[in-house]
Amino acid sequence: MSLLKVNNLKKYFKEVKAVNGITFDVKKGEVFGLLGPNGAGKSTTISMISTLFNPTSGEITYNGESIVEKPKAIQQKLGVVPQEIALYPTLSGLENLKFWGHAYGLRGSELNKRIEDISQVIGIKDRLKDKIEKYSGGMKRRINIGAALLHKPDLLIMDEPTVGIDPQSRNHILDTVLKLNEEGMTIIYTSHYMEEVEYLCSRISIMDMGEIIASGTQEELVDIIKGQKKINIKLDHVDDTLISIIKTIEYVEKVETHENEMILTTQNGENIFKDLISKTAETESNILSIDIKKPNLEAVFLHLTGKALRD
Amino acid sequence: MLSIILLRLKKLKGEYYVFLIMTALSLVLAFIFSSAYNSDYTPMVLIVNNDDSAYSQKAIDELVNSDTFNYKIVSYDKATEEVRKGSALAAIVIKENFGESIDNNNTPTLGIIKTKNDRDIMVLQSIMNSITSKMISNIKIAQNTADYIGEITDANKDELFKKAYDNAVKGWKYQKTININVSTLEADTELYYDNTIHSIIGFSLFFSMYTIVFAIGEILNDRKYRTWQRILVSPISKTSMLGGNLVVSFLVGVVQIVILFAASQFLFGVDYGSNFAALATILIVFIFTVTSLGLFLSGIVKNHAQLSALTPIVLTSTAMLGGTMWPLEIVNSDIILGLANITPQKWAIQGVKALAVYNEGFEGIVTPAIVLLGMGLVFFGLGVKLVKYD
Repeated sequence: MSLLKVNNLKKYFKEVKAVNGITFDVKKGEVFGLLGPNGAGKSTTISMISTLFNPTSGEITYNGESIVEKPKAIQQKLGVVPQEIALYPTLSGLENLKFWGHAYGLRGSELNKRIEDISQVIGIKDRLKDKIEKYSGGMKRRINIGAALLHKPDLLIMDEPTVGIDPQSRNHILDTVLKLNEEGMTIIYTSHYMEEVEYLCSRISIMDMGEIIASGTQEELVDIIKGQKKINIKLDHVDDTLISIIKTIEYVEKVETHENEMILTTQNGENIFKDLISKTAETESNILSIDIKKPNLEAVFLHLTGKALRD
Repeated sequence: MLSIILLRLKKLKGEYYVFLIMTALSLVLAFIFSSAYNSDYTPMVLIVNNDDSAYSQKAIDELVNSDTFNYKIVSYDKATEEVRKGSALAAIVIKENFGESIDNNNTPTLGIIKTKNDRDIMVLQSIMNSITSKMISNIKIAQNTADYIGEITDANKDELFKKAYDNAVKGWKYQKTININVSTLEADTELYYDNTIHSIIGFSLFFSMYTIVFAIGEILNDRKYRTWQRILVSPISKTSMLGGNLVVSFLVGVVQIVILFAASQFLFGVDYGSNFAALATILIVFIFTVTSLGLFLSGIVKNHAQLSALTPIVLTSTAMLGGTMWPLEIVNSDIILGLANITPQKWAIQGVKALAVYNEGFEGIVTPAIVLLGMGLVFFGLGVKLVKYD
């Protein structure tokens, strides 16, 4: 059952087509990923879903109700974790949580209980009385997430929540997202980190230049480049003779080199090993290691756009 | 709206020392400026006596006896040089036929050499008018007395004149207070000028405007910290968001104005009259207007840094035009007086002075309060329209 439906959504800023006719839906209880490089239009899409901007055209419905027409009715059901830290730096973590809880209608003991629960979820209970300006980047991110969870939203929208933080905080945030989803929360997660989306999301839409270029489960997306594999070969040295010989092997589509490493893009990659070893043996180069890369979303994005996710 | 009000008060509590510093600074600066305008400095006025008559000498004696200025008799060349250099405020030139004019019942002439028109020059002109009028009166009284007594007795007319003149002078001295009032009326001016009261009122209003404008300017910090956008996607309405900020900024203004006015009353002895309700009304309307002005300024800039750059320009220039730094009564330019009408400061000072200086009641604040309210509503409307919500 679709909780959120986005239909032919557009947002133009004068001449810039930030979002240009995207359509997707988010099912109740899933973690839905929006993957794309910086500037793809993910944050603009999130801003429209969270009612910050009105779309230039198109529809967004939540449980069948238009978000554009009845924003206030839906805001109470949404939890929004913005990409930037959106907290009051001169107030403590506790004071910030109290304000955001109050903003969503929580009062008194109910608010205090939720703050206690959420501070455990985000793992920041001991430092709640410190001012936000004294927190590390990771701690700020956690409070930033906590502020969106206080009112138990049905749909949590997280816009690149792990940008610029240490690995420990990042892992904590990712585990928190999974835990919240296990408890039944529907989550929209945007990122340009392919591995985060792969780790968290059951269905994914890949965005580039304001458009969705592919959608589906991870398996469905990887299937786009079915049979294509990347093989990394480390050698004692690489020269032009070796490269030209390797290019003659059947199924090798592309050869890239980086110092003493060759990256081959192949179809039916498992069939080339015999030729690869024998042809290399004809040259003065010696193979040190071979690593076959499993197809992933990065490869899908590269296949679809001709550029890397972090370009 | 309650969420926003509580938030702002909590933030204010954490930054209370900023408010205290601004209030204390306002008080200290108001005191310093009012003291500076009321210091013991006495300007030097030079006298050039080109008339060698007894009358001119009597005029000089009268001038020297007044303690408003320091006087020194010099030559004409020296006088022009000193005035040009600025080491003397002005020079009074007693023309050659001064005594002869009095004898012939003509109006005697005194000249003034000056480089500017300011409050001191106006006071000097007033003193000169007063002294010459008084002196001519004394002379006429003494002449008539000497003539009459001389005709019915054998007494020496010159001696009689001298005695009658001295008695006339004494008579003026006895009624000195009344003379001052009379001379003010003779000078045909409504100038009633009390530097302390004016400066304290002016500077209190001037400095409180900074606090109020920067209090409402906090909404720009909300945009900087992205909390503005986060509130917009929460169930808090735009009206509550803006209303909460306006209410707290207004309250900040009320608290500061109350502190400043109470301190000026108890520390400096300023008497704001007996009509507290009228004083509260004009000040509340003024605070509303300044809060709305702050909203308008916050609407036309993009961030707090721009507000910090724009605010001193707007507040200082309107303060100068509006008469917070000096009374508009001493301004002669019709352009400046016209422009003063579009500044909130002018109307606020006019209202407060109506109560504190002229001891008027509600009737004294009606026009200023209506004008301020009108300005406030215009700024409010523009501010609401201009504030950016994305």
